Amino acid sequence: MTETMTSHPKADDPRTVMIEARAVQKWYPNGFHALRGVDLTVHQGEVVVIMGPSGSGKSTFLRTFNALEDFQKGSIVVDGIELCDDVRRIDAIRREVGMVFQQFNLFPHLSVLDNLTLAPTLVRHRTKADVQRQALELLARVGIHEQAHKFPGQLSGGQQQRVAIARSLCMEPRLLLFDEPTSALDPEMVQEVLMVMQELAKEGMTMVVVTHEVRFARQVADRVVLMADGEVVEIAPPEQFFTAPQHPRSRQFLSQIS
Amino acid sequence: MQTPWWRNRRLLPLLVQAAVGLMVLVTIAFLLGNLVRNLSAAGLLLSWRWLNLPAGFDISETLLPFNAELPYWRALLAGLVNTVRVVLIGLVGATLLGTLAGTAAFSSNGLLRRLSRTYVELVRNVPLLLQLLFWYFVVFLSLPNGPAAIQLPWVVLAKSGLYLGSTQLIDGVWQGSLRITLEFAALLTGLIIHSGAFIAEVVRGGVTAVPAGQWEAARSLGLSAGQTLSRVVLPQALRVIVPALNSQYISLAKNSSLAVACGYSDLYSVAETTLNQTGRAVEVVLILLGTYLAMDLVISLLMNRLNQLVQIQER
Amino acid sequence: MNRPQALTNRLRRELFATPLDGLITVALLLGLGAGLKALLHWTLTQADWAVIQANSTLLAVGRYPLEQQWRLWLLTALLSGATGSSWGLLRGRGWPHSDRLAAAVLVVFGLVLPATLGLTATVQQHWWWITALLIAGRWAAGRWGGELPSRWRRLLPLAWPMLYLLGLGLIGGGLGLMSVRPSQWGGLLLTLIEASFAILVCFPLGIALALGRRSELPLLRWCSTLYIEFIRGAPLITLLFLGQNILGFLLPGGLAPDRVWRAAWILTFFAAAYVAEAVRAGLAALPRGQWEAARSLGLNTVQTLLHVVLPQALRVALPATVGQFITLLQDTTLLSLIGLLDLLGVARAVMANPEFLGRNAEVYLVLAILFWCCCAALGLGSRSLERRLNRQSLRSQP
Repeated sequence: MTETMTSHPKADDPRTVMIEARAVQKWYPNGFHALRGVDLTVHQGEVVVIMGPSGSGKSTFLRTFNALEDFQKGSIVVDGIELCDDVRRIDAIRREVGMVFQQFNLFPHLSVLDNLTLAPTLVRHRTKADVQRQALELLARVGIHEQAHKFPGQLSGGQQQRVAIARSLCMEPRLLLFDEPTSALDPEMVQEVLMVMQELAKEGMTMVVVTHEVRFARQVADRVVLMADGEVVEIAPPEQFFTAPQHPRSRQFLSQIS
Repeated sequence: MQTPWWRNRRLLPLLVQAAVGLMVLVTIAFLLGNLVRNLSAAGLLLSWRWLNLPAGFDISETLLPFNAELPYWRALLAGLVNTVRVVLIGLVGATLLGTLAGTAAFSSNGLLRRLSRTYVELVRNVPLLLQLLFWYFVVFLSLPNGPAAIQLPWVVLAKSGLYLGSTQLIDGVWQGSLRITLEFAALLTGLIIHSGAFIAEVVRGGVTAVPAGQWEAARSLGLSAGQTLSRVVLPQALRVIVPALNSQYISLAKNSSLAVACGYSDLYSVAETTLNQTGRAVEVVLILLGTYLAMDLVISLLMNRLNQLVQIQER
Repeated sequence: MNRPQALTNRLRRELFATPLDGLITVALLLGLGAGLKALLHWTLTQADWAVIQANSTLLAVGRYPLEQQWRLWLLTALLSGATGSSWGLLRGRGWPHSDRLAAAVLVVFGLVLPATLGLTATVQQHWWWITALLIAGRWAAGRWGGELPSRWRRLLPLAWPMLYLLGLGLIGGGLGLMSVRPSQWGGLLLTLIEASFAILVCFPLGIALALGRRSELPLLRWCSTLYIEFIRGAPLITLLFLGQNILGFLLPGGLAPDRVWRAAWILTFFAAAYVAEAVRAGLAALPRGQWEAARSLGLNTVQTLLHVVLPQALRVALPATVGQFITLLQDTTLLSLIGLLDLLGVARAVMANPEFLGRNAEVYLVLAILFWCCCAALGLGSRSLERRLNRQSLRSQP
């Protein structure tokens, strides 16, 4: 803990705090110490990119924000709601937090349009016609408008991931989590997904992205977080992080990926 | 922040389990209570002493010597021996037939392939009981008797039974080194043909699971179709076949209980007679369930051992 | 290459590729020829089908009172109309080739079969009407079904469960109708009642057991596993035996339900364990990511199960589940061993009648053909349903 160097958020930052994680610790049932006391603050409209070697706990940390993973010590407050064992609070958080997975996880038995409209109809109790209109707009925004009535199995990987992003957006979340969104894509399809994410960032969406894409981090991120061995090693703006990393672990990581 | 207990995600699983557990316990207590009350009213409370009473009925065919004065437990044991007899021979026969029919599905002979397919489709869609009754009442019971019996080298098929070995006709009655009753023969035939079809499907599924590349590689090395099948494909297919055979074998063991329809005195048939005579429903059912369960466990254990032998060593 | 030459080439390739093959083909043809000749000889000379004709009503409905049988005809007519309409609604306008073939086959069955079976003229007429109703329903629903308002269309699937309950009411009696006790139900009627009840109830029960077996809660897992393994280790006849003899003891004095319903529940509990195993395989095939995606969208457990997990798991489990239903239909024959007069039970009673002594082969043959047709049809239906579902939902490839 004494070795991490964080850039503390200025106390008078006017933006709302979307995520406030303090001293979060997690042990797996087999005893493995996955998170060893991590802190992170994410403001509204920020794009935070989390990087690190595999096994560093970055995906685990990301997944604690919408309660897909639980934690034993510390506290996490998401959108003003504290994460605890209360089922109602967890459901409330999940309504406001969207997640995009590495494996897309589209529902293969439903059409693209139905993938988008399922959750808003069931969870937010909106009318089907209303949601369908919004869904078609979102599909047009991510460039999949013509495929609305196809099934996920008929789309390419890049198209599927864009549909996944549209599906999360259809719930009108206040925060989007991305768990290595392009790692399972063929290289020629990575760009189309990153462009959509860049658009979202420009429109002011709060995003926390776990990724290996350095170019994306440099262009879009407000801050880069490096994690290793379950701890936050360094937090810095991308220009500072990629050109003049402060921590030896960061320098080691950067030399490995470039 | 205090979470009310009904929304606590750690408590909810415990509450659900407690509720389910309570429901199950209450139901069991209710049923058992009724059981004890009704049994004692009928004077039939659980006891095992009746097993030593003389049976009072005969068993039509048995390996162990038995007569009506011997106790019930000996009758049940004779029934068990009969069941084991038919199951063992049935397993061997069904495996042979199933393997033949299953591999015939890959023969280069179109007629053989279609015949195998037809056999499986015919047998799978007709109830086993119907097949057993057919074999017993229509085929075996209509065999001619005495001098008109069907005589093949070393085998005589007559209405009084099947005779194997050195056969001779003495005073209009056939004799042979080994006599098989019609009931046993009918049950065995029905079980073998029925299970054979399912085992054929298992074998076919196992061979289909072997990647096509294995066939191509073997043929391009110059092996004939037969050698490819026996040396390259079948050993790999066994990996998939053996686990599935387990459930087919258990199925055959359980199906042997239909012997009562053929008049063969297997365990179930003897148990049914015992129940009718003593009224000891609970004990008899417990014996039946326990024995069949034990048979299934034995078969599963042996098949698991075989499975370990057959699995290909992987890194 | 002209047709006959292509045909001979194909025959040569398939049947006589190697000398061994040629030998096998010749041997098989000789054997098959002899067998078919014997079968034909028996059918034309020795077989006496009077046993079927004389007992057709018995085989069909057992000892159902003659004057109440109009209720069964009414039910058959309703079912036939409902089947035709559902078929038409699913297909819409127009008659594709397969539909035309199916309709032709049905017409042949409806017109020709009753006559060949030697049924009475009134019965033959009834079957003509029922077949006509089926085809008419198909045509009408195809023609006008699309014009139904969508709210009605959504309620239509409910018609089938209601029809089933109505059917049970018509058969058993009750409000206004004279009650016909289950002990008077028999033959094909009883077989269908037992099989349909068991199939309908074992399906949700099996799904519940499969979910329990895969649950994270230890108690649910143990209970489900215990139940499933116990049932799978026991022969069905033993459980039916248990049901007939011990069920009476388990309930407060004298409250035991009729033997017919006891057997129906045992069949249900038996089949549920096997359906549970099939559904469990379907659940296991589902990637964990589906659960996670649904939860992270905010769906609760029930919604996730209903809309995401079960639709996918049941698609995978469909072939094995329908296989279980086919087995269940065949297992109803075991009811004859515990003294119930299902189709096989009635058949055996008929064969025991001294008037029809020795006619076993004819009766067994008819029964075998009947079961074979039903089970093969179910199997075909399952395979075509599987193909249709798989065409829709192709797995998404990451």
